[in-house]
Amino acid sequence: MNGTPEDHVETYLRRLDHELRDLPRAARRDVLEEVSGHVEEARAEGAMETEADVLNVLDRLGDPEEIAREAKERFGVRPRGGGAHEIAAIVLLLVGGFIAGIGWLVGLVLLWTSQAWTTRDKLIGTLVPPGGLAFVLVLWSGTLVAEGAGCVESLDPSGAVTETTCEQGAESGLAWLWFVVFVAITVAPIFTAIYLGRRMRRVPPPATVTT
Amino acid sequence: MVVASAQETLLAQMRRGTLVFCVLAILECDEHYGFDLVRRLAEVDGMVTSEGTIYPLLSRLRRDALVETTWRESNAGPPRRYYRLTDAGRAALGGFREEWARFRNGVDHFVTGEAGR
Repeated sequence: MNGTPEDHVETYLRRLDHELRDLPRAARRDVLEEVSGHVEEARAEGAMETEADVLNVLDRLGDPEEIAREAKERFGVRPRGGGAHEIAAIVLLLVGGFIAGIGWLVGLVLLWTSQAWTTRDKLIGTLVPPGGLAFVLVLWSGTLVAEGAGCVESLDPSGAVTETTCEQGAESGLAWLWFVVFVAITVAPIFTAIYLGRRMRRVPPPATVTT
Repeated sequence: MVVASAQETLLAQMRRGTLVFCVLAILECDEHYGFDLVRRLAEVDGMVTSEGTIYPLLSRLRRDALVETTWRESNAGPPRRYYRLTDAGRAALGGFREEWARFRNGVDHFVTGEAGR
């Protein structure tokens, strides 16, 4: 063990601050303030004279990781999720539909086998929208075909097309509505991916003390 | 081996769950600052293994409004944050006290009493 007593304390508090990074801000500040207050109290008592004393005080406080684990449990914060499993699930749900069609299904399996999400999150990930971006592409192309079908071709007696009239005008109000709906559907998979990314490590805070 | 570790987990969880009320009970009659509270808990064998783990608990109790805090100057050292029970904290402690007595008596009846032999 090398270094001055101050170094030990500083290193300890820095480690603690780092370990507490996933906590709500107020809780992180509370714990850090109180633990460093604890050290100051020990110092004021004269329990921090030698290096061995300091190490003893820190040892009794416990490993920063252990304090952080306790804090996460008390505040219902799950340890940082976001392993390769979850990242793969999000990516495949978003663009997996383009990979021979089964990429999205693989993403779906990964989604439902992960413990980083609640059932509600998983339902959103599954249904908004099923197939991810590939679904949007299919929808877009389907609509373009449908719009083409809305055109009326005038033929001359020989059968050659003389004029193509597409119905517009009367439907332009409706067309606007469709446009808005389509934009919403297009961005939905992206929002879902972001949502899943943010929800990854959170669980609802457990009820602590109730009467 | 599995049995032993399951038992350890259970004991740890019981300790964690009841520790909340031990803290509330210490604060029942008088307010205390963190270091003082931690020392009182650590004095009793088997209650706390790592003293630092009390502080997240105190923070959570404060967020749940079972305790409230005030800063006071100290004549030997840094300012201290004093913890005090709120009415809600007092009610929680009272409720637990009754339940605990019933639970403890029930378990004692079988585990240490005549019924267990």
